[in-house]
Amino acid sequence: METINFVLSGLGGQGILFMTKIFATTAMNKGYNILGAETHGMAQRGGSVVSHLRIGDARSSLIRAGAADFLLSMDESEAYRYLPYLKKGGKLFANAPSTSFPHEKTADFLKTNNIEAWAMEAGKTAMELGGPRSTNLALVAFFAAFGFGPLSADDLRNTVDVMSPGPFKETNLKIFDTCYETGKSMI
Amino acid sequence: MKEEFLLGNGAMALGILEAGCQVMTSYPGTPSSEILPEVVRFSKAFELNTSIEWSINEKVAFDNAFAAAISGKRACCCMKMVGLNVAADSFMSSAYIGNIGGLVIISCDDPGPHSSQTEQDSRLMARLGKVPVLDPSSPEEAREMIKFGFELSEEFQVPVLVRPAIRVCHARQNVKYDTLEKNLTKADFIKEPTRWASTPKFRFIQHKALNKKHIKISEKFNTLTPYNMHNLEKGKFYPLGIVTGGVPSSVVKDMFEEYDRNDIPLLKLGAPYPFPEKLASEFMDACEKVLVIEETDTVIEYMLRDKNKTLGRLSGHVPMEGELIPEKIEGVLNKAMSDCSLSPLSDSDCGAKAFEFAGSMELPIRKPTLCPGCPHRASFFSIRKAFPKAIFPSDIGCYTLGSNLGGVDTVLDMGAGITMASGFWNAYIQDDVKKPIIATMGDSTFFHSGITGLINAVYNNSRFVLVILDNYITAMTGMQPAITQGDRVDGSKGNAIALETIVKGCGIDYLKVIDPFDTKNMVKVIKDAGKHALDPEGGIAVIIARHACVIGFKDQAIPEQIEVTVTDDCNDCGFCHTRFECPALVRNAETEMTEIDPVLCVKCGVCLDICPTGAIVKA
Repeated sequence: METINFVLSGLGGQGILFMTKIFATTAMNKGYNILGAETHGMAQRGGSVVSHLRIGDARSSLIRAGAADFLLSMDESEAYRYLPYLKKGGKLFANAPSTSFPHEKTADFLKTNNIEAWAMEAGKTAMELGGPRSTNLALVAFFAAFGFGPLSADDLRNTVDVMSPGPFKETNLKIFDTCYETGKSMI
Repeated sequence: MKEEFLLGNGAMALGILEAGCQVMTSYPGTPSSEILPEVVRFSKAFELNTSIEWSINEKVAFDNAFAAAISGKRACCCMKMVGLNVAADSFMSSAYIGNIGGLVIISCDDPGPHSSQTEQDSRLMARLGKVPVLDPSSPEEAREMIKFGFELSEEFQVPVLVRPAIRVCHARQNVKYDTLEKNLTKADFIKEPTRWASTPKFRFIQHKALNKKHIKISEKFNTLTPYNMHNLEKGKFYPLGIVTGGVPSSVVKDMFEEYDRNDIPLLKLGAPYPFPEKLASEFMDACEKVLVIEETDTVIEYMLRDKNKTLGRLSGHVPMEGELIPEKIEGVLNKAMSDCSLSPLSDSDCGAKAFEFAGSMELPIRKPTLCPGCPHRASFFSIRKAFPKAIFPSDIGCYTLGSNLGGVDTVLDMGAGITMASGFWNAYIQDDVKKPIIATMGDSTFFHSGITGLINAVYNNSRFVLVILDNYITAMTGMQPAITQGDRVDGSKGNAIALETIVKGCGIDYLKVIDPFDTKNMVKVIKDAGKHALDPEGGIAVIIARHACVIGFKDQAIPEQIEVTVTDDCNDCGFCHTRFECPALVRNAETEMTEIDPVLCVKCGVCLDICPTGAIVKA
């Protein structure tokens, strides 16, 4: 199988490691090999946090610039910062207002590189539904609605179900379903 | 059989226990910090009764493991690469003396650097100490190499260094494992003074014996498939070959596969020292030129010796500094292949244009900063307010970030906050200048390497104020327990040691313990301490600024939540941003006023006392 490359970005504290684990656990349950790279230590204190995840039989954990299939960002600025990692024809998903995203300055870049971009206010939705710390899984659900990549929305939802601690399970699934529907409505 | 999405450090922990390691020691440091807690987790899960400790520093950790190994047990000691500098004294002698039970040292490198003060290559330390070295390319390989390392260490009675780089430590991979078995070997130290306590005469003999071992190990490394191997076709001559090892070898292999290139042979050296001369010669003889892609320094490149054939850092093909991230390697390969009249992998600009574009977006600069509610922020604010013109020596920990607040002037190494304070004093007092000096150091660093410096400063009558930032935890490296609390890595209770007793034991008469959240009081105490330090009848003044880490102990750190707001009195002077730098204080560009970010604010209330116009008030 060809390796599928995810770059996940955001700010410290948004739970990027949990987001990585949702994808990784789903992929592992499907029998895929996975390899990822994380940010720790002093670098983690910086606010800009990135995680690389490769589904398939890659040997090296880092995705090189211009080679990511998908970029999911929990912050608008962090989406633009990691744009160079997307390959030609890559897909971008961001936690940002869909009306103003992507920034007009990126139009030429996205067009030249044939990159499609979608956004929803995943953080706001999560907060409204009572899960201010669940921007991560909200964005996963939004991405899942488009049906890209080897992992299905049902499988991703099931992972969220299993991984969410008891008191948060119901809220998290509600957030997942709501953001999934938002994504569906944009197709 | 279980399967987990494990951190490379977790995969290594498995390798350590699968090898039957009985004694494990470490001092935390990125990127090595998670190895020891993962050893604890697996050891508990399989009831292995492994002896595991966070040691006070890396030298102590090393000596502990060494004693176990010469008692016949398998022992392992892990650290970050600058930690090996601290353990260097022991490390350099260890190969001469040798061991009985396998001794594996894991020194984790940080090319980048991402979270370190240097980009030093631990393989060079291995050469200096004449210790065989293994350089894994992935978490799974690191796990296997550690097991091999223990066998090699026992076969030749010599310690073995495993050097995983950050992309092994902090890679995550799906890893399968089975039940782990307990090793029942009993400690049995057999006295042999000419070996274990050898005098220089015997050291010479040991050195000679070690050099003989190296010849045998080098021979073994010539055929050490799959760690050391090439893929030359017999009788074929190539315009270019690649010599690589460690993390870059994975990147090169991935890229050759992706671009479907089988025309360029690869020599992988996962066990580069003692150098496998024969294997390397075979490869060199079959290639017109070889390109060396290794991290982080020129270790293999120098050992290849034939400069006319070798491309790498010395020829300008490979960058001399920084991590060899995949896009850089692609550029290096493309250039070398073109220079050897081969078609390059791609015409890619390796992201140059895209990064230039992203740079033009004027995105917010996100530099590392102390957390909202961090007690260190309050301490640095007070220190600077009390003595705006003092010299502020400091060192390594979260508190290094006090540099953002102008409260840290120097960062040399662990413990240098104190030793450089006395150095500054001596340099100035020679000119009859009584320079105010306020040193800072975290509690864990004080235990690690602050105490000897403080005793030295008292003994030699240097004068300064030392602020020990006691937050009950080793925070930067991921919340490891502190000696002051007495908690051990496995959750059991050790014996807590109070900073006060140590400070007094160092000969300090002036000691004050304060809560840094009360900045008004802290400013007053620092001023008083400063007077004591400069008074001819005084001495070194120590202040323990004690407040729990806001991440490690949230409830304890913020016992009473204080909601704050910014009034219209804010005149956009920027003082709170440069001198206090709390991420929750945000400047609104439209209103040209500062606001409180309600998500980031932890309601510590410290900022109530800092605004010059008093615009920050209780909500």
